[in-house]
Order: sequence, then structure tokens, then C-alpha cells
Amino acid sequence: MPKKKGRNRQGVGKETKGTISRRSVLKIGAAAGAATVLAPNMLKSGKVFAAFDPVAPPLAQCVSTAASPPHTPFVDDFDAPPMAVDHPLSPMPTETANTGANEWNRAPHQRWAQFAPAIVTTEMEARPGLHQFHSDYGPSYVWGFNGIYPGPTVLNRYGQSCIVRFRNSLPPSGDNTFGHPEITIHLHNGHHGSESDGFAGDFFPSGFWKDNLYPNVYAGIDAFGGSPGGDGVGDRREKMGSFWYHDHRAEKTLNNNVMGLNGMFLVYDSSDPGHEHPSAGSLMLPGYYGVTDFPMILTQKRFCALDAQGRNEMVNAAGGDKFIINGKIQPKMTVRRRKYRFRILSTGPTTAQWDLTLIGPTGAVETITLIATDANFLEHPLKIDAGANAGNTNSIVGTTVQVPGALRVNVAERYDIIIDFAQYAAGTKLYLKENASQSVNPGNVNPPGLPPGLNIGNVVMRFDVVEREAWFPKDTPAIPETLCEYPPICEPDTTFTWNFNRDPAGTVPRLFKINQRVFDANVPQHCIIKGTCEEWFINNNADVGTNWAHPVHIHFEEFRILKRFALIGGVFQEVPVPPPYQGRKDVTKVEPGEAALIRMQFRDYVGRYLIHCHNMGHEDAFMMVAWHIVPDAAAKAACDALIVQSRKEFEAKLRNEEVS
Amino acid sequence: MDRRSLLTRVFQPHPNSPGAAKFTNAVLRTHDNKEVRFYDDLIKGKQAVINMMYAECHGACPLVTTVMKRMYRDLKDRMGKDLFFYSISVKPQDDTPAALKHYAQTRNADLPGWYFLTGDPYDIETIRFRLFSMNHPGIDLDFAMHSGTFRIINDATNYWGHAGAFASQRNIMDRISWADPFKTHAEWAVYSRNRQILINQDIKKYGYRRDV
Repeated sequence: MPKKKGRNRQGVGKETKGTISRRSVLKIGAAAGAATVLAPNMLKSGKVFAAFDPVAPPLAQCVSTAASPPHTPFVDDFDAPPMAVDHPLSPMPTETANTGANEWNRAPHQRWAQFAPAIVTTEMEARPGLHQFHSDYGPSYVWGFNGIYPGPTVLNRYGQSCIVRFRNSLPPSGDNTFGHPEITIHLHNGHHGSESDGFAGDFFPSGFWKDNLYPNVYAGIDAFGGSPGGDGVGDRREKMGSFWYHDHRAEKTLNNNVMGLNGMFLVYDSSDPGHEHPSAGSLMLPGYYGVTDFPMILTQKRFCALDAQGRNEMVNAAGGDKFIINGKIQPKMTVRRRKYRFRILSTGPTTAQWDLTLIGPTGAVETITLIATDANFLEHPLKIDAGANAGNTNSIVGTTVQVPGALRVNVAERYDIIIDFAQYAAGTKLYLKENASQSVNPGNVNPPGLPPGLNIGNVVMRFDVVEREAWFPKDTPAIPETLCEYPPICEPDTTFTWNFNRDPAGTVPRLFKINQRVFDANVPQHCIIKGTCEEWFINNNADVGTNWAHPVHIHFEEFRILKRFALIGGVFQEVPVPPPYQGRKDVTKVEPGEAALIRMQFRDYVGRYLIHCHNMGHEDAFMMVAWHIVPDAAAKAACDALIVQSRKEFEAKLRNEEVS
Repeated sequence: MDRRSLLTRVFQPHPNSPGAAKFTNAVLRTHDNKEVRFYDDLIKGKQAVINMMYAECHGACPLVTTVMKRMYRDLKDRMGKDLFFYSISVKPQDDTPAALKHYAQTRNADLPGWYFLTGDPYDIETIRFRLFSMNHPGIDLDFAMHSGTFRIINDATNYWGHAGAFASQRNIMDRISWADPFKTHAEWAVYSRNRQILINQDIKKYGYRRDV
């Protein structure tokens, strides 16, 4: 790879061939170590950039709708984001907010006595950095955790509680970007106290920090008990794996995520231990992070032309004309003839979905094996392709298949897949294809060697199959027929409907709303007593005039989809739940006229949580509401009273009364 | 209140402000029949709450005006200093400055720092698209769409936010505060400590952090 100016100064993502570079890990460790040493001085002086070279902001805001500069396909290497490095925190984490040392205000950590001191601590500093998306490009200015994009991947284990100190060192007055330097970090979709949940109204400014306590427990702590250590506490059937963390600042989530404030967070347990040694209970899946197990973080970006600073800055807008996968444009990956696990995540930011297929040398759709949906193992692995397994696609609207054989990835969804490269001869090249097209070069002229029928614009990345070297981990055994046992679907204590819509045509103000409400940090729209189960109707058919799809996300616990409905030929009717949606989920997209019936539990914690459309443009434009888990019936009565009071105010406003 | 009083303070725009290129510098008229340039006089370096309305509207407009009066009461100390309300007519061909003056006076809304604005229909349509566009023809072509929404702009911090007019008063005030000028570290520290006290009281009262 040719040396290029302005490569990311941490050397991330340049030198590996499928392995985590010890050098890059060491370098990041050194940088993080420097931050620890300097932390007390930084706090005293208030100079949060003290430990790092300042990164000059863009010369001007990059605004463009023109095609991004062309790039050469398959130059850069696909790689995993670096791992977050554990290190002690100074000052020590505390149960109540350490406001004297610049921790932002918050409720005390719930279950502190049970899960503190945290076994693992790390720090994520949101700050500007430079990232090179392609070797043909100059670096781009990003906001990243620890200055990198994608953010470092946090590797945790069930039974080992973790505190991540999120520090805001973004430019206090903003800069020449559309990012807003206030953040609140949500771990999607962690089971933890709301004080650690990145509630959208709890954002904090530059110069402050906040500890999020992630207990890394299975939901069901109260009912199932257990003790920390081993696999920890709770119902082991509630195991999750592929989380991601991202900014959730009300009104600015889209901006800050486009700037780069997101990353992955993996949690292992004995069934999924993060290695491939035979061990008790292990499913023996490909499991070495950055070697045989990779995040695949998808987004789209547009870039400005090379500027006087030698940079290709990111356009400050949603979407774009370049596919970005783990921070690279159309990379290649050397894969050995064995199985690999990829944890696909779409960071959006908008509703646009990815319809992914694996294309072989003949141009045919190859088989992939889906093992997990939204961080949760499927009970049985699911093969997806355009032939015998075409029925397993989730690229379906109503009952109509959109892209045959595709795995549809909506914003914020995670899909863990296994690709078995052992079945291909060394020298084979495979292509990850997206149904929509990006702009590669003027006219999207194919480079030589692409399979018939494949246009370079549709290619997200390329896999180059080689023989496994002796030093490379041997293939894992066949994927087990059974990956997990689902927890039973709970019996609901009550039912509730969430209508995702705009106001009906002909009325005003026609905003994006949920149950006719806009996001209000202080007023819930639903109150739930801790430990109960509810059946929710996620409805995008409340106003048939609507023509928006909503990928709906619910914080806190995973749900199961019981039924799906669609409006077909004007008739609202039940439709089959596509196989990938039959497992546990935390995002469900409802297309216009669609609805989903789900069940979910609310255990172990109390506080304020969210349901929202994960199209970040929609959630920023109001389509998000809070619901509360309350400790008891008295608190529920008080919570319900708050809702009644807010409705009265709403109705008084409609009657043109001056409420005081 | 005349145009001069708008200019008595130096308002510094954010270096990244899209400026007149986005907001336009269309010449509008206030309900006091004073000429103002939209960006230079009304937006530049200021925090503003903007809505669309028209004088003869009997739907949402009077309701929204009532809501804004309540907002005005709570924000009185800042009104006309670094915070402004702009109610822009979407029927400028009907709404002369005099008609808007009448509208403001009859609703006790003729207040310092709150301007009812009219002008060339083409200019106003341009401003409406620039401020309220959702990039969707179904919404953008329907001028009634925006009457229930406030666009909250702070040109000093380059913040674009919004609020629903029929949301709770507290929610609207929150959203305006989200667009406030950047505070110093010391100011934020005081803010945070005060908020912590409220959180503690809230938890004591309800058993969890509820609405602070």
C-alpha cells in the first residue's frame, strides 16, 4: 500500500492482514496510558486536549451534493476496529455522581453494591481525530471515541461488570462541522440502569465526563439470581453478544453519529467465549476478535474534494455515495479457507436498508449462515441464499420479496453471519454486494475480473481466499444445529399500542410523532411496574396516509415478535414473520401500513427508557418517547398522573387556553 | 421597538453559520412597518424561535400565538436582547404590516423582541423551505405543515433545533435551552451541581429519577 500523507496517527487499520496488529494495540495502549497519567492535571487545568496533538478542524464546512472523488477499488484492507484497552480510572468511580471532579449529574448507579467495584474499567474520550477512508483520499476530520472511527471495540464478558468512562473532549464551541459537542452514550441494547443508558435528554457538554456502569448480566437478575463471576447472574437464555454504543443526544443524534461517534461492544460468555479453544459449553464458533471474528460496521458517506489542508472532509449530511465498511471504502480482505464470523451493524443514519448478498465467481448468490439477530443467537442457524434457502430472506415488505436471497440490514440492527470460505479454492474472490449502488468512478466502470452481472458500484468489499497458513487458527467445527434455547415468551400483564405516524393529513402540525407526542425528556407516555411483561403493538398503520418506514428500537430488554401485519391491497392483514425475525430482537422495522406485535419484559431496574424510530433523522425530529419502569404501584400512580397532567396541558393548548 | 434597537448589540455569528446564503437576506417588513433584512438583522448571531402563521388563520395560528405568549412570559428577561420570536406570514399577499399589527395587538402579542413579518411571497416561500424543509414534497409543499412547529435557531452556536407547539411548556423551554449559547466550564459546573440537587430530590420523592 503506498504511503500517504496524513494517515491516522495511531496507525489504525493499515498494517494487518486479518490479524490484530500488536503494534497498533500497543500504540493505542500507550496513548490511553498517557491520558491516565495526565488525567489529574487535565482536570485541574480544564485542558482536555493536553494529552493529544490538537487536530485542526476543517477549513470550512464541507457541504456538497456532487459525487465524491473517485476511488480505486480493493486497495485498502478490511480490518476490525482496535480493541478498547482496559485501564484504571482516576478518580475512582463512585456510586453517586462525582460532580466535584467534573462528572456530569446523574442518578446513583443502581445495584452498585452488587456490581461494584467494576471488574473492567476503560475510558472513551469523544474527541476530534483524523481518519483516512481510502488510500486515494487525504484524511478526513471525524469525531471519534478516543479520536478514531469506528470507535474502539469494547470486549467484555458476562459476569464481569464494566464501567466505561465517557469523557467529552469535543471542541467546546463546536467547529466547522455539523456535530454538536454535547453527548449522551447509549449502549444498544444493554440491560442496565437508566443512569447508564444514554437517555437522550441527559447529554453533557465538553469538559465533563460520565461513568456508565454496564453490569454485563443476563436479564432476570431478580428472578434467577446467581452471583457475579463465571457467567454471572440472571437468566442465561437472555445472552446477547453484539452490542454497539453511540451518541444519543436529542436533536443531534444523526449529526454526531455521522461525525463518527459510534463503535461496537461485544460481550462473551462460556457459550461464545471469544476464542476457539475447546472449553465447557462453547459453541466453537469462529471467535478470535480481529482474526476470525469481525465487526462489519456499515454506513454511507459523501466526501468533498481534496482541500488546501490535504484533506477529503466528510460532507455534513446524512447518507452519501460511498459505502463505508469499518471505516473503509471498498476494501479487500484476505481470508483463509475456513469459517469466519462477521457481526454486521448498520449505523444508518437513515432508514435506507442494506440488502446484502455474497456473490461468488460465477456471479451467483452464495450461501451465508445467519447465527444471531440483534445480538441474540437464533435457536437454529439459518442459511440464506437465492436458491434452496431463498425462503429465509428477510428482504421482504408485506409478503413481497425485495431482493432474492438478501440479508436485509436496517439501521441499528445487528446480524451475525458465518461465511465458510473452506468451500472455495484458494485464489477465489468473493464479493459482498449491496442492492443499491455507490459511485466508484465516473460511469462506474468495472475493473477487470468481476463476476458476470456484477457492477463495481454494488460491491461493498471483496474477500480474497487463500490457503490457511500453519500459524493461522484451524477451522472451527461445523456450526452446531442448536445455538441456544430461547427464554419462554412471557405472559403479558397488560397491552399497549405505540402508533408511529405523523398527524393525519389536513390537520396541523403533522410532526413525526409516537402516540401523538413529540420527544419530551420529562414526561413519559407509559409507566410500567418493574418485573412485569407487556404486549406491545408497534403500529405504522395508524394513519394510512403516511408513507414513511420506521425502524423501531426499544431500549432495555430484547423482545420477541409474535405477529406481523401489513396493508396489502388496502386490507390490513397478518403476514408471516420472516425467519430472521423469529428470534429475539431489539429493532423492528415497520414499513408504511405495517405493524408488529411484540412481547417484552421489564426486569431488574427502574428509570427512564426510550422507544424511538432509529432513523436518526426521525428521532431527532421528535419520533421518540420515554417510558418509565417504576418500583411499585404507588410510583406508577404518580407516573400515570404525570401523563394525565401533560395530556391536560396538551388539550388546554388545543382549546387555546392560557395554561399556567 | 425599531430596527435600530436590534442593532444596538454586537451579535457574533458562529464561524460555521450558513449565513445569508442559506437564510437569505430578503427584505421583510415588521408589523411596525420597518424594513429588516432577514439574515443580517434578524438571525445573525442571535437565538430565535420562528414560526409560520397568517393573520386570518383560524386553525392552529391563534393557538400557537397563545403558546408563544406563555413562552414569552417565561423568557421575558432575554426577549429582545439575545432571544427573539419571529412569526412569519405565509400569506404575505394578504398580511400587510398593518394587518399583522392588528393581529398582534388584538392578541396582546405586540411585545419587544417579537416580530410579525411579511414580505415578498417568493422570498417568504424561500425562507420557509430553507428553515422548515423536511426534504419531502408531501410536507414541504403544504404550507400548513409548519404552523405547529417552532424552528429554533442559534446563529451564534450554529444550532438548528425545533419544538412542537403543542408539546408541554417545559418541553418547549427545554428545547429552547438546548439551543442556548455555549456556557463556560464554570457555568456548566454550577448548572450540573444544581441539577444534581434536583435529581436527588426527585429520587427521594418517587423512588427513581423521574422528571428532572
